[in-house]
Amino acid sequence: MSSGYQQDITFTLNGETVTADVAARQLLVHFLRDDLGLRGPKIGCDTGHCGACTIVYNGKTIKSCMMLATQADDAEIETVEAMAGESGELSPLQESFRQEHGLQCGYCTPGMLMSASFLLERNPTPTEQEIREGIEGNLCRCTGYVNIVRAVQATSGQEVSV
Amino acid sequence: MLLAAVDYYRPDSVAEAVTALVDNPGGRVLAGGQSLISILKLRAATVDLLVDVSRLEEIRSITALDDGSVRIGAGVTYDEMAHSPELMAAMPAVASIAAHTVDPQVRNRGTFGGNLCHNDPINNFPPLAVALDATMHATGPDGDREVDAAEFFTGYFSNALDRAEVLTSVTLPALNGREIGYQEIEIGEAAARAVAVVAAGNGTITEARVVLGCLAIPARRQAVEEALAGAATTLDSVAEATSGAGDGIDPLSDPDASSEYRQAMASVVAKRAVMEALGGQHE
Repeated sequence: MSSGYQQDITFTLNGETVTADVAARQLLVHFLRDDLGLRGPKIGCDTGHCGACTIVYNGKTIKSCMMLATQADDAEIETVEAMAGESGELSPLQESFRQEHGLQCGYCTPGMLMSASFLLERNPTPTEQEIREGIEGNLCRCTGYVNIVRAVQATSGQEVSV
Repeated sequence: MLLAAVDYYRPDSVAEAVTALVDNPGGRVLAGGQSLISILKLRAATVDLLVDVSRLEEIRSITALDDGSVRIGAGVTYDEMAHSPELMAAMPAVASIAAHTVDPQVRNRGTFGGNLCHNDPINNFPPLAVALDATMHATGPDGDREVDAAEFFTGYFSNALDRAEVLTSVTLPALNGREIGYQEIEIGEAAARAVAVVAAGNGTITEARVVLGCLAIPARRQAVEEALAGAATTLDSVAEATSGAGDGIDPLSDPDASSEYRQAMASVVAKRAVMEALGGQHE
């Protein structure tokens, strides 16, 4: 049971236990960025449309601007910071984004990577249509999505066909 | 901070949630938050206390009953509906609608009950609930009660529950051989939407229910239903029977679509929904 304007929360962030005292009105994305210094989750729209703040919450992608920080209590959270290896080597998905030029300005990329990773976890060989549906909650203003779709196809070991 | 100061409470039961709502006149239920958090960001509503029901296991299950009906907990997410073996077996069309609601992140967080209670005209489940004659189960300070879907939606962003009542589950009655059609025109979230529940045999429609969404209150189209009953299952016949689907409705004008356009599209989505239910071509 949890109650009050200030909330004590404990949760797992990228495998580490975090304890904090947060305001009940604070959004999760603001807590991650401003209090914990994780700049992977981006704020693109503040209205829940762009997906730049996408993180994984208890195994599923969510928009961290559409949740409260206090709702992280007891949860397991992963951000894009956990995607690369400890020495900085890119994950296969990240490497494919680089190879296929799946980004330009890079602002949508953390959220895009989280959504693409979630998609591949559930569906290791998605069709083009399934890829496009999988990243439907993430807006990109640079690439026109084509190179992002190519990057996901390449990661899944499929022919790059768009 | 985008949000105004607000208190937050995560109860361990529906009963505790109801008690908190009774004790706090400015209390509101927070479920998946995919609408309410936006409202709080805009400071479009004054809320003193958020009562977070999103983790209450007692409202988070889907149960298929022997009579063919399905009871869906109000706290079940769209993604959980989309992947529920019970729902996919009993009402695959409903699971499919859930699987295509908004986007993956919203589906992972947004709840069936929240979608219904919020009754945003663009929400997809209110017209479905009315078309299926769903029963809404709520718990409040005076105990449990049931509300028919036809009585549940009372206007834009409004429902029949009292502020201290919590929607706990929704029963979707057995289809008994009827098929569901669900069609929308995607401009913004949706400019027009129709749900049809149809039974047919030997090339003839025997029973049809047609409900329009994207309105303050989902609108059952009884004249269309009467015209469909006994009609042939052909596109021409269905098009004629559904041609008056938009008569008398008064949709909202907004930046996505004008009222006139939405009204004009009512017969289009109604026709397509009936044809989909019949397993036929839309055009």
